Amino acid sequence: MIATMLQAIFIDPWPFWAGGIAIGLLVPLLYYFYNTALGVSTGYGNLVKIFFPTGRLQWLNTKFKETWSWRVYFIGGIILGGFISSTLSGSPGFTSEMGRFTAIIAWPPLAGAVYFFAGGLLLGLGARIAGGCTSGHSIHGISNLHVSSILATILFLLGGIISANLIRITLMGGAW
Amino acid sequence: MNKNVGFLGFGILFGFVLSRVGASDFDLIMGMFIGEDYTLVGVIGIAIIVGAIGMQVLKRSQRPVRSGETLKISEKKLGPWSLLGAGLFGIGWGLSGACPGTVLAQLGEGKIYSFFTFFGMIFGTYLYARLKEKHPSL
Repeated sequence: MIATMLQAIFIDPWPFWAGGIAIGLLVPLLYYFYNTALGVSTGYGNLVKIFFPTGRLQWLNTKFKETWSWRVYFIGGIILGGFISSTLSGSPGFTSEMGRFTAIIAWPPLAGAVYFFAGGLLLGLGARIAGGCTSGHSIHGISNLHVSSILATILFLLGGIISANLIRITLMGGAW
Repeated sequence: MNKNVGFLGFGILFGFVLSRVGASDFDLIMGMFIGEDYTLVGVIGIAIIVGAIGMQVLKRSQRPVRSGETLKISEKKLGPWSLLGAGLFGIGWGLSGACPGTVLAQLGEGKIYSFFTFFGMIFGTYLYARLKEKHPSL
């Protein structure tokens, strides 16, 4: 009985509804405990200050007065959570695999690195211009029925549908 | 409990769940966009429904915030460029197979390419800070 439960929590992949319930509960829980909106991408402003202390950029110095705010701890926790999940389920530590990207596209590692860096750049820049990301807009914002977040999420999905299909047709030769 | 410690704990829970449910899986994210696998649509959809119900319960409760403060729900207003930004974000989401939360879970899982997505995100945020200096309406 206990072994089955441990297996279901730590080793088998979770069914979508279980993950959805756990993630959705974060929205009211963070308000209940800290009167704070769920959101991840804003914390990358803190990371800029930590990794690249850039001095006088006004936005970084007004919005992120406290460099080591709760956002950094939240980000650190998510990394740790991914580590715990993969370690307990017996995944092999570091891996250069990235699903069908590395399975289908035979690029040298440097090209792959540039590709993912470019994707990350668009995520970072886009999230700040949009004012949030999947957690802040799509999950927190729509949970609170904010029209702005519904519109942002439609554009998130539209952008993703366009770029993913372009990659599938071009780089992956439609092989997917 | 100290707020930072609390957020570390909630972060661990969030990252663990993202990883367990496959939200940090490149193939599942791409699969959602090319219409092959709607697992993550289900995850996000259920999360929104549960979040919405939870917020309604909270708003109707005697004490919505444990400390007794009034509940302050932050609404993200759209600026003139916000939807363009959302489109850029979406393109990045579809290219990298990650978003700002799931890339962190990928880091923890030891996926080496996710380090580049991660530093790209930091650089993109830095770029925003630079652009914002000259274009305050961003």
